[in-house]
Amino acid sequence: MSSRALPRLLQAPAVILLLAWMLVPLGMTLFFSFIRYVLNNLRRPEWTTPSIENWRGFGNYDYVLYKAKDFWLAAQNSLIIVGSIIFVTVILGLAIAVLINRTFPGRGIVRVLLISPFFVMPAVNAVLWINMILDPVLGLNGLAVEGLNTMAGSLRDVPLLGHFFSLWPDIEPVSFRATQTAAMAVIIMVSWQWTPFAVLIFMTSLQSEDQQQKEAAILDGVGAWAQFRYLTIPHLARPIAIVVMIQAIFHLSLYAEIEIVSRGNGNKNLPYLIGEFASNNIGAASATGILAVIMANIVAIFLLRIVGKSLMD
Amino acid sequence: MSAIGQRTKFSTVFLPILAWLVALVFFFPIFWMVLTSFKTDADAVKPEFLFMFTPTLENYTNMTENYDYWRFAVNSVITTVFATAFTLFVGVPSAYAMAFNPGRHTKDILMWMLSTKMLPAAAVLYPMTFLTKNFLNLFDTHFLIILVLSLINLPIVIWMLFTYFKEIPKEIIEAGKMDGVSVWGEIKDIVLPLAWGGLASTALLCFIFCWNEAYWTVRLTTTDAATLSKLIEGNRAPEGLFFGRLSAVSTAAVGPIVVLGWFCQKQLVRGLTFGAVK
Repeated sequence: MSSRALPRLLQAPAVILLLAWMLVPLGMTLFFSFIRYVLNNLRRPEWTTPSIENWRGFGNYDYVLYKAKDFWLAAQNSLIIVGSIIFVTVILGLAIAVLINRTFPGRGIVRVLLISPFFVMPAVNAVLWINMILDPVLGLNGLAVEGLNTMAGSLRDVPLLGHFFSLWPDIEPVSFRATQTAAMAVIIMVSWQWTPFAVLIFMTSLQSEDQQQKEAAILDGVGAWAQFRYLTIPHLARPIAIVVMIQAIFHLSLYAEIEIVSRGNGNKNLPYLIGEFASNNIGAASATGILAVIMANIVAIFLLRIVGKSLMD
Repeated sequence: MSAIGQRTKFSTVFLPILAWLVALVFFFPIFWMVLTSFKTDADAVKPEFLFMFTPTLENYTNMTENYDYWRFAVNSVITTVFATAFTLFVGVPSAYAMAFNPGRHTKDILMWMLSTKMLPAAAVLYPMTFLTKNFLNLFDTHFLIILVLSLINLPIVIWMLFTYFKEIPKEIIEAGKMDGVSVWGEIKDIVLPLAWGGLASTALLCFIFCWNEAYWTVRLTTTDAATLSKLIEGNRAPEGLFFGRLSAVSTAAVGPIVVLGWFCQKQLVRGLTFGAVK
């Protein structure tokens, strides 16, 4: 056996497994996206079996893109949800990472507390937030608003000064399952879970920052903001890019949170739309799936470039 | 000079307090869940018992009756343990080959492996259901879940192991080759002992990802192989009646993993960024 053959043999199982995992289901999705394929149709029973004879060309894509009403809404929701989460987590992540990048009593505990949300399983995260925290009646949201209203109410009864509070309106708690706010609920809960991820990565990166350069800057009388802007931010450029890309990939396929918060009402994203189509129209579901793959790949190419640079050094 | 004096006070007193506050805010939902798990279902929704209540263990002792918790927990343990073991079993030789005998295409293979991770799961859900239900007869089996969990984590595991293996000096491997050590001996006696810490944190991270997975485990199971993710998602809207018991079962589902996570938080970065941030 030559010295080259063995390494190839050793990596063969992983390569074969991943190749099969990628090619077989994706190939099937691609095929389904070009045929008429539905699960139930009494008038056209021949459409219920996947066959080349039901070839539809780009008909499914045409249907999804221009005739079915939800594709553009779902694509827009996907982008809004992903974009907002990234914005919130990167800003908060930077601020918190800089905040705890110093020695102070209990720093280890602070780190442990901060990182914990990241390990909570997504289903628990969503159930916990939507029921126990954001619920307008029984959650902390509802309880807090009720408490405020009671407080305002009792202030009104205070003699003399009470007049000032009579103008204070009763506050209505926000319902996070409603169409207008369901996307917000998803953004809040996912940001809570992923800010720790950003903090962890920025913090690790901050620890490798050139301290001598910083000391020189301090001696030269450079202010804290200028230090942050001209030394720390450039140093963090790559970690920030990585945090953005990785989150984009993960959150483009959000599903559990969408389902649990409102079953797609007001926050329907592409994966959820695919799931809806898949309850009957497999052709349309597959076409949407291929479009989602294309969208994810655009992000992936950028990520791979960044990661690839650090690969061999 | 007074400006500097103030600044030091600001950064030694105020900022640490702020850091503590932020940490407590982030941890609060978890704390709230754990606290609620010790309340009765009735107390859990009464404002007057927010923090003062008589703790009870009944939510934990009744977990089996209320939710059949252990059946789901056992499924989670089985699928997670075997998936982690299988992923390492396939991943270690592969990462070894790529780290110590890189060929012309090693970099491309690694990049391609990572790209499989970026395939949106929803896009291939129907084919997977179709294949496993109609042809392979694997739907709702432990085997299927183990296989899928392994496949989705294999790229990350290989990447992590690759970055750890690359830190082992090549000379040590060369010396082993001179002494006529077999490939298996090389892995077992040289690479694994030297990369033990890296291997452990890779396994831990893979374990956490498998445990928390909530797309395939929910959609490719019905009852027999259903995991804790499925259990929780099935109880998504308790209508306020069961906050106590739901908190208990959620705490039991995430508790072990959160604690495991605390131990591997430092290694986590490398795994999550595919070695690009160390």
